[in-house]
Amino acid sequence: MAYKPQYCPGQTQVAENRRKQLDPNHKLEKIRDVTDKDVVLVMGHKAPGAAYPSAHPPLSEQQEPACPIRKLVTPTDGAKAGDRVRYIQFTDSMYNAPCQPYQRSWLEAYRFRGIDPGTLSGRQIIECRERDLEKYAKELINTELFDAALTGIRGCTVHGHSLRLDENGMMFDMLQRFVMDKKSGMVKYVKDQVGVPLDSEVKVGKPMDAKWLKTHTTMYHSLVGTGFRDDAEYVEYIQRIHALRVKYGFMPKEA
Amino acid sequence: MTDATFPQCRIVTERLLNPETTEHLLNKLSEIAGIRRMVLNGPRLPATVTYGPATGMANPHNMRKTIHVGDQEVELQVHVGTVILELESRDVIPTLKTACEQVFTNFTFRIQEGKFMKTEPSLVDYCKYGPDADKSILGLADPSSKSKPTIIQGIK
Repeated sequence: MAYKPQYCPGQTQVAENRRKQLDPNHKLEKIRDVTDKDVVLVMGHKAPGAAYPSAHPPLSEQQEPACPIRKLVTPTDGAKAGDRVRYIQFTDSMYNAPCQPYQRSWLEAYRFRGIDPGTLSGRQIIECRERDLEKYAKELINTELFDAALTGIRGCTVHGHSLRLDENGMMFDMLQRFVMDKKSGMVKYVKDQVGVPLDSEVKVGKPMDAKWLKTHTTMYHSLVGTGFRDDAEYVEYIQRIHALRVKYGFMPKEA
Repeated sequence: MTDATFPQCRIVTERLLNPETTEHLLNKLSEIAGIRRMVLNGPRLPATVTYGPATGMANPHNMRKTIHVGDQEVELQVHVGTVILELESRDVIPTLKTACEQVFTNFTFRIQEGKFMKTEPSLVDYCKYGPDADKSILGLADPSSKSKPTIIQGIK
């Protein structure tokens, strides 16, 4: 029988959502349409429409050493062109945000090529060649992985993921890069990811309602969503990993 | 330094408070007799960006406003999430609860009793205020900043 990856354990909706996001054959639901120009504006690495600055000449113009690995691996578009390495970083609120840092790195490893994800407790950064990054960032923003109020695009000063939401339901942001337009209910970015004011606002749509978030989140939260301890299979899995790691620390010897 | 006999409590809300709600709450609290000292806690909202490529640029933020409490202007420097209070007696707590119920209509809150304020001057307090500091202001403002506590005339 052909191997079928299980991606992750668990019997709850949260675990099911995790599996869906991790499965590269599952097409992520597109729920907003942020343009290429807007993505470039929010990331702030270059002006929209400007040429991609390069870190080295295109691969076709330079002599490559004889290397079997280079023959095996097809370079990404950005690597072929010699683009700079740039980044986008996300902060996810603990209050039922649709994605979370560990999950992000995991799913990106399944779905994208030529990336260097960095996972921290409340934020996750992804680094790759600039033109690849724009493509990936667009997918990360436009699909069900992103919520306008509970996911933040923040290059620095990221604090907010573990804080209570504000009265408008927005995640705390010391630099207030994104604000809620009370009239239209739309969330718009007024600063780029490092806090430099934007010349034009970038609209990322309305925040999703609590019901949608609860059924789409990949984060366990006993107060506002599904408690981790309600998922017996996941607890068993984590306890098994924990026990094995601790035992391995003592270098057990097989009898 | 706080007299240990004065009870303390803290108001914790489900959401971080907008300046308008904070103003509403503080005005309700200022009408209550028996509150000695109060601290507004929450994540800081600096006037300029403090870190990263935008360091030094202005940081406009909807939640950093000057509010009017009693007869005083109070400049909010934090996004208020917790209000710590020192009371003259525990009898004030039911009145506090009533005031909070009038303000927090869209989300929940709770009032916890305990010890939340500084009881001894820290090293930083000593450096800032010296050995003869007015002990009633310890812990009310960040000693490393130039800000000072605001005195609001009560009704007593």
